[in-house]
Amino acid sequence: MNNSMSMKEDILKEIMNIYIGQAASLLSEVIDKKVELSIPNVEIFNDKDFALANGKIPKFSNGLLMISRISFENELNGRADLIFPAEHIKKLVSLCTGEDQLYEGVQEFTDIDFDVMKELGNIILNSVVGGISNLLDMKVDYTLPEVKIFDTIEIEKELNEDKDAYILLLFVTFKIEGTKIDGALIISFTVESMYDLMGKIQEIEKEL
Amino acid sequence: MKALVVDDSKFSLKMTTNLLRQVYKNIDIQCADNGYLGFDIYKETNPDFVLVDLLMPGISGKELIKMIFDYDKNAKILVLSADVQEKVRKEVLDLGVIGFINKPFNVEKAEKILDMVGKCSNE
Repeated sequence: MNNSMSMKEDILKEIMNIYIGQAASLLSEVIDKKVELSIPNVEIFNDKDFALANGKIPKFSNGLLMISRISFENELNGRADLIFPAEHIKKLVSLCTGEDQLYEGVQEFTDIDFDVMKELGNIILNSVVGGISNLLDMKVDYTLPEVKIFDTIEIEKELNEDKDAYILLLFVTFKIEGTKIDGALIISFTVESMYDLMGKIQEIEKEL
Repeated sequence: MKALVVDDSKFSLKMTTNLLRQVYKNIDIQCADNGYLGFDIYKETNPDFVLVDLLMPGISGKELIKMIFDYDKNAKILVLSADVQEKVRKEVLDLGVIGFINKPFNVEKAEKILDMVGKCSNE
């Protein structure tokens, strides 16, 4: 990787860190608790790199994942997923609703769990995608948020099927009341949208 | 004071109504989890203000806002949305709503509603 690309990636990672930080602050508002955030690890792949690399989601290799998803279109196009391991969902929902719950398996998920995760994803993903949209001064229209249960293999398979896409993979650990909750955010942009984003980053780089 | 809250998320409806009740002790709140029901309740109850989410199945928040304004041009509508885009905020404010509040809803945001509704009534 040359120096210029390295600098662009560095700027992109810094921008993503800012939006993730804002998202953590929003999460803190929802649950009314302090949320400590690990420094997010951001990786950028094109579809071919992603297909070639194995085990991109190593932290979640042994279990089910709950995914809150929005797609976006208009001047920017793509999809954003907020992912949490299923065993952490009950804790998150408890924090949001103030009612204690225990995780006893995926079959135990209720409509409330799905509804809370949908709304949580809506707030966090809007913060990140909307932040990028504001940065680029390009409007996006969102589809309705949806929540799904996947395992790691299924999510990787789905991402591998995103042809001509650029994938931003962000791992983040939230620490809430002593409990560590590993999460990930995957934003898949079309080539044109990634080109626009990198164009903006080039402008930022020139101003440095 | 009468309020109507329209949001497809039951969690969001519960959070919003709890906070409104915490701030406004004698408030009478009606809830709708979709735009059709929201419009029906608006016509029945003529609330002092309406809080509307934007992204909803069926009738979107923007469509509902237009329907309410067609019915009552003096309606006091506030948007409560996770959308942080400046362009969307401007678009919605141009429809004539009196405020755009970003989710998550909290006490401070709830307290400001009365000011917004009050200012609008005094104009």
